[in-house]
Amino acid sequence: MTNETRKTIEVDMRGQVCPSTLLVALDNINRNQKELSSGAVKLLIRTDNRNATTTIPHTAANMGYNTEVVSRDGYYELLISHLE
Amino acid sequence: MVTNSIMTMYVVGLLMGLVAGFLMHRSDYCMAGMFRDLFMFRQSFRLRALVLQVVLTMLAFEAFRLFNLLPLYPFPLLGAPSLAGIIGGALFGLGMVMAGGCVVGTLYKMGAGSLLSACAFSGLILGSGLYAEIHPWWTGIIKNTTFLEDYLTIPQLVGLSPTVLVLAVSGAALPLLLNWRARKLWEIGSEVRGYIQPWKTAVVLAAVGLASYLLIGMPLGITTTYAKLAAMAENLFFSEHVAGLAFFQGTPLNIVHPASQTLLTGGAGPLFDHIWMIQFPLIVGIVLGSAISALLLGEFKVYWRLPARQFTITLAGGILLGLASRMVPGCNVWHLMGGIPIFAMQSFLFLIGLLPGAWLGSLILPRLLGSTPSILKR
Repeated sequence: MTNETRKTIEVDMRGQVCPSTLLVALDNINRNQKELSSGAVKLLIRTDNRNATTTIPHTAANMGYNTEVVSRDGYYELLISHLE
Repeated sequence: MVTNSIMTMYVVGLLMGLVAGFLMHRSDYCMAGMFRDLFMFRQSFRLRALVLQVVLTMLAFEAFRLFNLLPLYPFPLLGAPSLAGIIGGALFGLGMVMAGGCVVGTLYKMGAGSLLSACAFSGLILGSGLYAEIHPWWTGIIKNTTFLEDYLTIPQLVGLSPTVLVLAVSGAALPLLLNWRARKLWEIGSEVRGYIQPWKTAVVLAAVGLASYLLIGMPLGITTTYAKLAAMAENLFFSEHVAGLAFFQGTPLNIVHPASQTLLTGGAGPLFDHIWMIQFPLIVGIVLGSAISALLLGEFKVYWRLPARQFTITLAGGILLGLASRMVPGCNVWHLMGGIPIFAMQSFLFLIGLLPGAWLGSLILPRLLGSTPSILKR
């Protein structure tokens, strides 16, 4: 894994109806499980849904992933990656 | 007193709405989400706050009733229990999950700039207007399924003082609430700006509900005004048709408020009556309160580029919500934060319908959105 290029999958969920942010996050985690677990891929979700910033880290943690929440200009970025 | 002046009614309604809208935005106090997340993700964090709010409201209403401060008890506009309420509740549950918010959640989300909630709001008004067309038929169904016509609440039915039931229920709830506290289930770590833990919002909303009952004579409610807005819009183009609809002619509110000796009257028709004075400022307050919260946090933003199907889903959800809130009649705020705390049977029937409705919504919404993560496929 050491030489593998790190890729970030970006998903923009801003403005979308609840709970599509969490649904799409889960969908992407499921579809990229292997790459996420190996550290080859990170998942970046942009959302303005305040609740998703707590439900996504919680759900991701249960699945063994780490989520970093960063506050941006009027929205939030959630970076989901393999637990180091 | 508040109800003998139009100005004080507007001011009080607006203030209550501002407080509610501000806090709901901060805590994302979304009742549609509370029930949906329970079924969809097995998450009950925000629903716990609602349980707290209902128990606190129950205790507060009963305490003030015992001091004779709630002369209108049970409050006006409550109907006798009808099985039709279960059907209304189920449609309501489905509608709120599809709309991404209940009749109040839609308001605070729209206040923070959500275009989809604005779409659901249009649906709400459309659905409320559509109800007027089916009202005569639906009234017949309500009549045929109404039982215990002379009893509105469980205490009336069993001939017990409400105090006994309130003490029994809150006494049973106390260990549960304390257990959640011991397990640190009341608070959640959140990194959003200006987050307010939902239990705090629950406490304030219980106080706002009490204030409404004390000052205006009934707990919080807003949906008749959605029907009014529909009637007003329709009246601009089809005034004869509006005049011919029984639903828009009725005045279900017709009661003297004992504290002010004011006759409160009103209905769904296109008039600026007492229903309008009670509910419209509350609606405006919730939208504004949430907008203020979002602006202060720099989170007020309108996103335009959204999947087209989400507009269809939220509009359909809004129409269902509007229809259902007139079919019950009453919404989740009215029944869960007002009726259940006084053991209104109609409110329990609404809840009995709401649960399977929200469950159905949580089952089909991911499919409608076109995104069903395998974790949900069961």
